[in-house]
Amino acid sequence: MQLLLEQMVNGCAIGALYGLFAIGFGLVFSTLGILNAAHGCYASFAAIAGYYAATSLRLPFAASLVAGVVTGAALAILVDQIAFQPLRRRGAGMLGALITSIAFWMILDSLAGLATDQQSLSFPAGTFPSAMPMLGTLPLPAMQMIAIGGLIVVTIAIHWLITHSRLGAAMRAVGWNETAAQLGGVNPRLVILATAGLAGATSGLAGVLAGISTNNVSFTLGEGMLLKGFAAVVVGGYEDVRGAAVAGIGLGVAEVLSAQYISTSMRDAITYALLLGFLVLRPRGLFGRASFLRA
Amino acid sequence: MNKHASWLLAMALTVAPIAVQAAPPAGDYVVGFNTDSTGPLAAAGQSFTRGAELATAEITAAGTIAPGARLVLDIKEAAGDAARSIQNMHQFLADRRVIAASCCILSPIVNSLKPVVAGKMPLVVYGATAPGLPSLPWVYSTTALPGPKDTETAATVARTLKPKTVTYFVSADNDAFKARMAAAEAAVKATGAATAAVISVLGTDTDFTAPATQAMGTNPDVIMVYTTQSPAVGIIAALRARGFKGVIVGNDALAPAAMWAKIGAPLVGVPFPLSFSPDVNQSPEARAFVAAYKAKYNTPPDLYSAQGYEAMWLIAQALHSMDGQPTREGLAAALAKQTAIEHNVYGGQAMKDGQAEVTGLTIVNWTAEGTLAAWKAP
Repeated sequence: MQLLLEQMVNGCAIGALYGLFAIGFGLVFSTLGILNAAHGCYASFAAIAGYYAATSLRLPFAASLVAGVVTGAALAILVDQIAFQPLRRRGAGMLGALITSIAFWMILDSLAGLATDQQSLSFPAGTFPSAMPMLGTLPLPAMQMIAIGGLIVVTIAIHWLITHSRLGAAMRAVGWNETAAQLGGVNPRLVILATAGLAGATSGLAGVLAGISTNNVSFTLGEGMLLKGFAAVVVGGYEDVRGAAVAGIGLGVAEVLSAQYISTSMRDAITYALLLGFLVLRPRGLFGRASFLRA
Repeated sequence: MNKHASWLLAMALTVAPIAVQAAPPAGDYVVGFNTDSTGPLAAAGQSFTRGAELATAEITAAGTIAPGARLVLDIKEAAGDAARSIQNMHQFLADRRVIAASCCILSPIVNSLKPVVAGKMPLVVYGATAPGLPSLPWVYSTTALPGPKDTETAATVARTLKPKTVTYFVSADNDAFKARMAAAEAAVKATGAATAAVISVLGTDTDFTAPATQAMGTNPDVIMVYTTQSPAVGIIAALRARGFKGVIVGNDALAPAAMWAKIGAPLVGVPFPLSFSPDVNQSPEARAFVAAYKAKYNTPPDLYSAQGYEAMWLIAQALHSMDGQPTREGLAAALAKQTAIEHNVYGGQAMKDGQAEVTGLTIVNWTAEGTLAAWKAP
């Protein structure tokens, strides 16, 4: 029982990182209509920025986290304006955007490799909380609690933003039909910038937390999160951030428990088989509506 | 025959072979070097490449092949990718200036290149660790095979600490590590220690908290790690972060200074076998290699640098032994005749069936000061 509880916490913590990443990934798809393969790079660059903020600038943990989040947001806006805005102007479809995003994925990966001298770096001890308080006999590592807490806060905040704020209404409107939204007084360009920035920021947060938790600050960080984040979005449903969060947690728990109790070498196969089975039963995802295709 | 005539005849017979051998002519001898200096293997790939670059500079400066003969590297990036490695090898084959090739950290990539070079160009492997890769007269390996040393280390630690149970980590997607773990497990079992669990991880895994929890759940006396570099340091860091106080046995992937810089304190006291380290190897050749490497790259060499270095010295030695204008076929035959790498940093390196061998076992661990020292049981 003790082991099960510990692995549940581990699964929730890794799942929280998947969930955070998936929220940004889903926002871009549902609002901007882009399946962005370069999204993992935002997490990689955020982790790299956070690392250098902590080591070169000797900033405290919170400030390093903010540096990573801001970097993720800035990079997402930059990529959107350089890569996707010209395509939008020409009315290129989703396939063109996907191929462009793959090109940017390759370019940004190479740049991230240069930024770390092709090494896998690690946040030094003392630059992040490393306490491990106990709940009875259950260890609760500080970074795991921060990841889970971060997911809860971000999910609630973005869900509220989308469902209760004017910006959220504008994001939904642009996601449904950009021309109609413009006719209704929405400035689509600003909404697109805000959405890209928000998506980059959440992925940046996931990147810094993952970089610390896994001792891996390199270009491979984002690549690793991309597939898991995509799976969480598909299972959770593109249109509701709560779905991505819950699916991320579910994915992490399934991954950890299948490794613990079934097979470590077949872990990913088991996890994705479970996801596939779920999608057969509920193709629109946890919180998705009957059809998620954009008009 | 009087005494003087006998002496003159003996001298003539001794000198004759030297007199008829024509040294390779001056000029450039190009080695196609397939590097993994970017991508997931970059940390090791850069070290291999730097070692090879240093060796070619020294060989050229010393006129090792022949006076006026330069050993030149044609470096092509593969980033650990088999398809790119094959493409690079085809380019080397097409370039008639290239006399030999050197490659590869991953054993499956070497196996994919063997049919490409067979009968066409000699290939010297500098990093792949699977046994049985050489294929005479075309494929050779200067990798100091870690498998036998892993087994000896595991047995030594087991005999010294007498653990009742051992839990193993293994890279499930790496046949070489699976074989190394299986051999180590058998050696440990022979000392009376039972296997508590074997936990598989993948080379692409990055989060090891759950596997560490799983290992600690088996309550082992000792944990032994047979995985590639990134998982190995990740596992050890996760085990220590979760409070595992027992002995962890690692492998030579922990040796590079970059691993100490990355993980630090959790590596202290973790024993692992080592073929080369600037802190441990003290032969004149090793000291000269370390000094030259530090001067050129501003960082100490590691075991990977040493292997890249030796690959070039083996090629240069074979070229030097050739008579007249070297050809790829001639070089392959000359490589097959080499029984040892004469200029080596290990204090002795034999060549047997195309495979370099480093004898003797050194078990080391990182100290709190960030240096490598001989391991002592706690």
